[in-house]
Amino acid sequence: MEDEIFEQRTDLSRLTTAVAQIRESLSQIIVGQHDSIDLLIAGILADGHILIEGVPGVAKTLTAKLIAKSIDAKYSRIQFTPDLMPSDILGTSVFSPKTTEFEFKHGPIFGNIVLIDEINRAPAKTQSALFEVMEERQLTIDGKTYKMDEPFIVLATQNPVEHEGTYRLPEAQLDRFLFKIEIQYPSLDEEIQILTQQHQQKTVDQLSSIKPVLSIQDIISIRQVVKGLHVEDKLLVFTAKIIHESRNNKSLYLGGSPRASLAIINAAKAFAAINGRDFVTPDDIIRATAPVLRHRIMLTPDKEMEGVTPDDVVAQIIQKIEVPR
Amino acid sequence: MGYAAGKKPPVVSKPPAVLKTDSSVIKTRSFNEHALETYRKAPEFQYHDVEVQTSLWTRFWRWFWNWVAQLFSSLKVDGHKSFFDLVLLFFEYLIIVLALGAIIFMILKLVGIDMFNVLRRKPVAADIPYSESLENIHEINFDTELDKAINQQNYRLAVRMLYLKCLKQLSDSQLIDWQPDKTNSIYINELVNPEQRDSFKLLTRQFEYIWYGEFTIDSPTFNNIHSLFRNFRNGKA
Repeated sequence: MEDEIFEQRTDLSRLTTAVAQIRESLSQIIVGQHDSIDLLIAGILADGHILIEGVPGVAKTLTAKLIAKSIDAKYSRIQFTPDLMPSDILGTSVFSPKTTEFEFKHGPIFGNIVLIDEINRAPAKTQSALFEVMEERQLTIDGKTYKMDEPFIVLATQNPVEHEGTYRLPEAQLDRFLFKIEIQYPSLDEEIQILTQQHQQKTVDQLSSIKPVLSIQDIISIRQVVKGLHVEDKLLVFTAKIIHESRNNKSLYLGGSPRASLAIINAAKAFAAINGRDFVTPDDIIRATAPVLRHRIMLTPDKEMEGVTPDDVVAQIIQKIEVPR
Repeated sequence: MGYAAGKKPPVVSKPPAVLKTDSSVIKTRSFNEHALETYRKAPEFQYHDVEVQTSLWTRFWRWFWNWVAQLFSSLKVDGHKSFFDLVLLFFEYLIIVLALGAIIFMILKLVGIDMFNVLRRKPVAADIPYSESLENIHEINFDTELDKAINQQNYRLAVRMLYLKCLKQLSDSQLIDWQPDKTNSIYINELVNPEQRDSFKLLTRQFEYIWYGEFTIDSPTFNNIHSLFRNFRNGKA
């Protein structure tokens, strides 16, 4: 009925078809995790980096690998270890006897989709090497700046910080991730389905059957469309109120940054596009808020000791703000 | 340099001591009584004790500090005090500490300092510097506002009024629990009747396209939407 009354101002057909294809192909291998897959797709459309957190064995890396496989782009993987050096990631200048000059050898960070596995196993020195490249999509080494190819997406996985041999990522780096996706244990039915698939050896065959759905050009053009989606002024105020409240909330030691407000709007646009709308609604903003804020905010020590989670506080914050209507 | 055994030291001869006497004349001096009298009469040397009237407040504090001084004087334990005296003394000081704590607490409360946040790094929460601009749906005269919007050909606002009126009616019928922080999708899910939910979902989509999406609508389109809202209200949708 609404389609008869309202004609879409923006063509989102390519995007919605691609999203449906990615969901379909991933659901053949990944059991459940529909929300996480949607967040991963939204993060890629919103030009953001994504941090995936979960206990060992919940298919964090597999999910990230499959998403990367759905896009026909240069993929690289870095396994973070405690002895990893910045030059191991970024690259280094090597003396060439042939030319008698130093030549820059590109590190694995030079890719379109970079999967950093177990990112919080490397110390802060190594993490700091990612600051410039994640925010500015460029690297400065030996006084020379190297621009990253578009799209540049960092998909990082990590174990919860309480686990052995892990470091807490610096706040500055966490702020550079658009989303933090928390992968939960599967339900009983999902667990049975995983076992059945594995028993019938379906997973191995299907893993190789995943074909790229989007090209680099598709991603670039879809991102342009998503950027241009409509956001009503009251929704900008709504977002600003959420972030402002996070900075004044008594349960929080650190609230959301202006980068967080921008991230919420960008992510909300991506959710709107995935749902086939060319405008953002309060639901899109609320859906984006928890994954955008949960790794950026810091609880006060007493709230942490009480067992309150960042998601609990985000829910309280949203409850305080009136939905514009 | 000692002397050899059996040898005596030499004898030294001194002149005899002479005692000298003071031969000066002593002259007795006395006060000039006249000059003294003149000084005594001078106003600069007239001292009078002025009796100051103490206020009730001053007397209270004088009493309070005397009481405190008495308490402190009894602190001098001389070793002969009984255990019971020491316990009493402890309670006296406990009462003082509690009283002082209560006074400090009241002063800080009056000044508006949150003591629990003073030692924390987190600043005291500030109020959000903007007022809530949105209306309570239970206080809007929808018919007047709707007529006004239609007369002004502000169909976007008119659709908003229709939708808010619809929410109010659902709330009045206790089909939804209206709360300012709830989104439209929450209200859709609160509706139990599937037909009603589908109809309301359609109305919500239209409201969202017009209000959040800022789609322009003309008079015929508005009339279509208006009739859909009317049908929903009358239970025909």
